[in-house]
Amino acid sequence: MSVVVVGAGLAGLTAAAGLAARGVEVTVFEARERVGGRTHGIEVAPGAWVDAGAAYLGDRHTALTALLAELDLKTTPTTMTGASRFALGGDDGRTRAGRFPPLSAVALGELFDALDELDRGVRAEAPWLSADAARLDRLTAAEWAREHLRHPDARLFFPLFLGEMMAADPADVSVLHLAFYLRSGGGIRYLNAFAGGAQENRIDGGAHQVCRRLAAGLGDRVRLGEPVRAIHQDGDGVTVVAATGSVRARAAVVAVPPTLADTIDHRPGLPVPRSGARTAPGCAVKVHLVYPAPAWREQGLSGWSVNARGPLLSTVDDSPADGGVGVLTGFVTGREAHRYAALPAAEQREQAFAQAARLFPGLPEPIGCHVTDWVHEDYSRGCYAALFGPGDWSRLGPRLAVPHQRVHWAGTETSTEFFGLMEGAIRSGHRVAAEINAMYRWRDIHD
Amino acid sequence: MNVNAVSDVFRRVLENPEVSADSDFFVMGGDSLLATRVLSAIARASGVELDFDDFLDAPTPSALAKKIASQA
Ligand SMILES: Cc1cc2nc3c(=O)[nH]c(=O)nc-3n(C[C@H](O)[C@H](O)[C@H](O)COP(=O)(O)OP(=O)(O)OC[C@H]3O[C@@H](n4cnc5c(N)ncnc54)[C@H](O)[C@@H]3O)c2cc1C
Repeated sequence: MSVVVVGAGLAGLTAAAGLAARGVEVTVFEARERVGGRTHGIEVAPGAWVDAGAAYLGDRHTALTALLAELDLKTTPTTMTGASRFALGGDDGRTRAGRFPPLSAVALGELFDALDELDRGVRAEAPWLSADAARLDRLTAAEWAREHLRHPDARLFFPLFLGEMMAADPADVSVLHLAFYLRSGGGIRYLNAFAGGAQENRIDGGAHQVCRRLAAGLGDRVRLGEPVRAIHQDGDGVTVVAATGSVRARAAVVAVPPTLADTIDHRPGLPVPRSGARTAPGCAVKVHLVYPAPAWREQGLSGWSVNARGPLLSTVDDSPADGGVGVLTGFVTGREAHRYAALPAAEQREQAFAQAARLFPGLPEPIGCHVTDWVHEDYSRGCYAALFGPGDWSRLGPRLAVPHQRVHWAGTETSTEFFGLMEGAIRSGHRVAAEINAMYRWRDIHD
Repeated sequence: MNVNAVSDVFRRVLENPEVSADSDFFVMGGDSLLATRVLSAIARASGVELDFDDFLDAPTPSALAKKIASQA
C-alpha cells in the first residue's frame, strides 16, 4: 500500500507519520526548500529562535500537546506582567494596567455579546446547516458591524479584534465564517485570552521544530523543492506529477491551503472547487524587533499594545525564555498588511522602528529587525488561514473533507475543530490517516 | 438591579451555575473580556454605565449591586 502526501506542513507531516506508522509506503512532496509551511523559525540571536508564523497554543489544543510530548518538545508560558500601551486615538499611547483597552466597557461588552450570540447559533461541524445559514453566509462581517454596532468604540475595536484573531478585514469574511471560526476555536473568550486561553503557551525554541522533527522521522520519504502540478487518477491508483518526476500510488493526500489545491491539475476534475472567487487569503505580516534586552519590562510594561493606526496594530513580548535578547513582535493584519507589504524594506523597518519608539519611549534602536510577509508567500496564500467569504460555506463547506475518489484532503482549513490553527491542521492529519487506513486496508483484505 | 439579578448575569457570562452573592468574578475565571459583557448587561438592565475599574473595585454580586444602587 502506497500513498503520496502533497505538502509538508503540520497536516501533511502528521498524516505521513501516521500512515508510515501503520506500515504504509509514503512519499511527501513539498514545494518549498523547507518543511513547516505556515510554521517557520528565525534565529534572531545565537540559539534564540522566534516564530515567524504560528506561535501560540492553549490547553484545549490536545492533539498538538500530545504531539509535542511525543517529539520531546516543551512549552513556555506567555506570561504577561506589567501594564499595556494603547494608542487608540490620535495620541502616541496611554499606559493602562492589564490588557483592557481604554474604551467604553459597555460598548465592548455589547460587541462581545453580539459575537457570543453568533457563536451560539452556528453548528460547528456543518456551518451550512445552521439556522439562518443562507442569510449569514450572504452578509459580510463589515455589513454585520454596520448594522449591529452603534457605539463608535465598538466600531473602532471590531476590525482590530478581527485582525488580531483571524488576520481578516471585516469585508473579507462572511458572518457565517466569523461565527463558525469563533465556535470552532472554543468561543471568543478562549480565542482572545493568553492566560487560560489559546495564547497560553509558546513552543520552547520555536514551533518550526514540530515539522522538523516529524520530517526527521520520515527521512528521505520527504522530498523538498517538489511543487505538485497534477494529480491524475484511474481505476487503480493515482499519478502525482511533481517538479522532477511523478510517483504512482494507491491514493493521495492533498494537505495544502484551499486556493493552492485549486492550482493543481486534477483529472478527473473536481466536482466542486476547493475555493471560490470570494475566498480571501488571511493577511498577516509579522515584524520581530530585537533589542539587547526586554527593556520595556524595567518600565513596568508588558510589551503588549493595541493600536488603531499601523503598521503594528498590536505588539507582544516574544522574548526567548533564556533571558537573553528582548523580542517585540508586531502584528500587521487585514488591510494594513496589504499596504505595509507593498513598501520597500527600508521603509518597512523605518515605520516599525518609529512606532515602537513612540509606544515604548526610551527603548534603544533595535539590533535586529525581521519582517515576514505572508501576504506574498506563493505557497501559503493566506495567513493565518483562508478566509471564507460570502457564499463559500454553502458551496464549498459540504465537500471540504470529502475525498475526490482517491484524493483525500487535509490541512487546517478542512478541520471544523480549531480551524485555522495548528491544532486543526494536526487533527486533519490524524483524520485523513485513519480515513485512508480504513478505506484501503478494508479493500486490501476483501479484494 | 438586585443581588440576584447580578448573580444571574455572572452565571450566564461565566457559564457557571455556582455563583453566590460573594463570588469574586475574577477568581471564578472572569477576565476583562467577560467583564465587559457583565457591564453591558448591567447597562441594559439598569441604565447604569459602570467602567472596568468600578468592577475591579466591586467584583462580587453583592458589592456590584450596591454600586449600581448608589449610581442609579
Ligand atoms: C503569522 C501567522 C501566525 C499564526 N499564528 C498561529 C498561532 O499563534 N497559533 C496557531 O495555532 N496557528 C497560528 N497560525 C496558523 C497555523 O500556522 C496554520 O493553521 C497551520 O500551520 C497550517 O498547517 P497546514 O499543514 O494545514 O498548512 P501549511 O502549513 O500551509 O502547509 C502546506 C504545505 O504545502 C506546501 N505546498 C503548497 N502548495 C504545494 C504544492 N502544489 N505542491 C507541494 N507542496 C505544496 C506548502 O509549502 C506548505 O509547506 C498562524 C499562521 C501565520 C502565518
